[in-house]
Amino acid sequence: MSAIQQGVKTIQRALPAVNGHRAWLAGLLLAAGWLALPSMGIAAEGTGAGPTEYRDVPYIGSRTLVWIVAQLHLLLAGFVLGVPIFAWLCEVIAWRGGEKRYDKLAKEFTKLLTSAYATTALFGGILLFLLVAFYPKLMNYLTDVFFPSFLLYCFLFLLETVTLYLYWYGWDAMQEGRKKSLHVFLGFLLNFFALFIMIVPNAWATFQASPVVIAEGTAFERAWAATWNPTWWPINIHRLIANVVLGGYICGAYAGVRYLSVKNAEDREHYDWMGYVGNFIGVFGLLALPFAGYWLMREIYQYNQQMGITLMGGFLSWLFILQAMLIGVLFLGSNYYFWLGITYRIPGSESKYRKAMLMMLVSLLLCLAVWMTPHSLVASIEEAQKMGGAHHPLLGVLGVMSAKMTVSNLMILITFMSFVMYWRAGKRDTAGWAAFGKAVMGAILVLASIAVIVLGVWGYFVPAIVRINYFSTSQVLIVIFVILTITPLTALLLKSAKTTTEMVWGSMPPRAGYSLVLNAVMVILLMTLMGYARSSSRVHWHVYGVMRDTSPYAYSPALGSASLIMAFCTFFFCILVAFIFWVATMGDKYKTAASAGKGELPHGIPAMAGGAPNKGQQE
Amino acid sequence: MGNIFKKLGVGLVVGGVLVGVARSQELPFDFQLLFLIIALIGAVLFMLLDAPSIGVMSGRKSLAAVAVFWVLLITVCFVGASSLPQFDPEDERAKITKLLEREREKSEQGKTEKLLALAKSLDEQVKKLEDRLKGVGGEAIPAVAPIPPAGGRRAAVAGGEDDVMKVGEEQWQLQECYNCHKLRGEGGKKRGPELDNIGSLLTVEEIQQKIADPKSFMAEGYDKEYAKGIMPNKFKDLMDPKEMLALATWLGSFKNASVNTPKPIKKS
Repeated sequence: MSAIQQGVKTIQRALPAVNGHRAWLAGLLLAAGWLALPSMGIAAEGTGAGPTEYRDVPYIGSRTLVWIVAQLHLLLAGFVLGVPIFAWLCEVIAWRGGEKRYDKLAKEFTKLLTSAYATTALFGGILLFLLVAFYPKLMNYLTDVFFPSFLLYCFLFLLETVTLYLYWYGWDAMQEGRKKSLHVFLGFLLNFFALFIMIVPNAWATFQASPVVIAEGTAFERAWAATWNPTWWPINIHRLIANVVLGGYICGAYAGVRYLSVKNAEDREHYDWMGYVGNFIGVFGLLALPFAGYWLMREIYQYNQQMGITLMGGFLSWLFILQAMLIGVLFLGSNYYFWLGITYRIPGSESKYRKAMLMMLVSLLLCLAVWMTPHSLVASIEEAQKMGGAHHPLLGVLGVMSAKMTVSNLMILITFMSFVMYWRAGKRDTAGWAAFGKAVMGAILVLASIAVIVLGVWGYFVPAIVRINYFSTSQVLIVIFVILTITPLTALLLKSAKTTTEMVWGSMPPRAGYSLVLNAVMVILLMTLMGYARSSSRVHWHVYGVMRDTSPYAYSPALGSASLIMAFCTFFFCILVAFIFWVATMGDKYKTAASAGKGELPHGIPAMAGGAPNKGQQE
Repeated sequence: MGNIFKKLGVGLVVGGVLVGVARSQELPFDFQLLFLIIALIGAVLFMLLDAPSIGVMSGRKSLAAVAVFWVLLITVCFVGASSLPQFDPEDERAKITKLLEREREKSEQGKTEKLLALAKSLDEQVKKLEDRLKGVGGEAIPAVAPIPPAGGRRAAVAGGEDDVMKVGEEQWQLQECYNCHKLRGEGGKKRGPELDNIGSLLTVEEIQQKIADPKSFMAEGYDKEYAKGIMPNKFKDLMDPKEMLALATWLGSFKNASVNTPKPIKKS
């Protein structure tokens, strides 16, 4: 090496002198030839002989291919982990409350699991092959760090598979007495293993964003340190809730499609009710999701401020305006479904609640407008000169986190009240303390809303750290307090309430079905968007600050082109889910025809949907 | 139906009022449009509660409807997201290339490659000379063009003042200083002081010292940010001395007294 260096210097010094000293040329040519010999060897060693770091595929590119497959795997995984939670909860309700239709609903969804589970595993396998093929160096590094958890993951998969088969194939055989208890326990085990199947790979993904690397210790100690990284638990909780939301909304979408296609009244009733349950579960998960998202962002900021800035204030900040738009549509869609329920399922209630609905709609739209306000406006030079800069004196104020946290909490409160309104529709309170109870609930709601707004405004006048650690957290706690107070109070009030209007299932207009489908599509789009955000926040690092991405695809794709991939992923996922539903229910219509008149069909009305508490228990 | 038109009318009136208010406040056109859209979404949503029931589609019609829905959704996603401000991936790619180039230059492989490139260029020049010698016979050979130094970027740092300024500004962008500091009315999130008058308050050497060791100076009124170590202590690893000097020189040229850049206090 130093010999070459020395040789080059010699030639450099000699060249200018060549002019007029042609006789030296032959010597210099010889020297160049001499230098070239060792350099050939070094070139081969440096390039050809080194381990392959990346591979590529033509046209689509390795990064896009991995992106699509990883996103589909993640969405399918969310589905197969969310549905068992949903199904198990329904089974427990049926088991403890005696409402058989919940058991039927749980079974209908568990039936999907076997084919969905296989499809998810298939995409997981494809993803693994692609990663090993396209990113061998990265995969080698991750294997070094996480080898013990790879083994654990395989073991968990075995346990999950066995439990799933027992749970599904034992459904009919374990319906009575202690066998049913065992079946419910199997459902619990299924979810328990599923939780670990989710959190183990979450460690691999979060390690890439917030790595904890220790140089010393055993393989287990290194893996454990890498697993327990700062964003691991926030992601675990966020994904757990998001999976429940996804499961709920997909259940709603399935019910919506079936509702649109069924011919007889009994099936319409059933799928109308199923749509309600799906939307209910989706909405309740959705209410908790912003809290988990807030915790995750807080941890990201604390781990690495630059990463937080890249996400919220840097080149990805406009992504969060898109996120606000999608969440806004989701909140509007879910509320709209509740309002449709009041209007069509509980005749006579629409006039009573029409004004409240209008107020809620206006409030939701105002909140959405604030949430969608960017901090820096896109303005022409003339517009910017008129405003006196990129920040408008009024809108600039609305574009910061203090305002956005406030409106997101208010949207949660409004959606919760929409549900309470639906729950109370068609009832007349008979309890002696009803007036007092309602006054207390009204006061709680008003005071909580004022407190959330006051904290939001106050947040402008305190240091960011006080706002993040105390004010925003207090806003979240206030909203949780409202939900935890008003729900039992309403339940207590309605226990003795008189039903004035029976709920009529199957009377929803077709647009209710369409809105359920749209809500599911919005959730899926939202998940693909956040997948892009999480991955892009690492910028040009495979493992943030540890292993740089040196591939030709190290840059982040622009929002426009990325959204095209996201939309295609959403489309492909919906096609896959439709296929899974089709495969799983292929034989149903023949069975239904054969057992017509014998099957159990829903007749009751769930208490939370406004029905009398004893309804639906006679079966 | 009358109810629906009434609601549409109310939506349009509300939208019109919002647009009027937005115009009076001289909000950008995009926002006026956004307010109108939000008002109309509200009106449509409320109209849908009363809209007459539409028929359920089946067969080919339903397939066509599903296809139209997806085409529409994908188009809206793409067009909608593309209409938002886009960052240019090429910018990020250029930054990555520079970062990688620096690391590569430092590595043994990089040094080897640099030498090999140099050897190759010398070889070519020798060949050219040989050809000329063969061609011209006894005629005088024109002077050989000076050998371009490997790594034009480094030459630029060592070159004229314009080049230094260019590299300085380039470093400002590359290290994303604008995320925390406002300069020329752009960037900044109040995490760091506005720097338009920094050249009047610190010498180039002092600016360089502050970049290399963020604890060396504290901006007046930024006690909390200083105590928390908001300014990352990483730039001495990310920039070589020449690049840091270029950035400091470039920043030192900002002497806009009309901007209230806080006074730096020497700490260590």
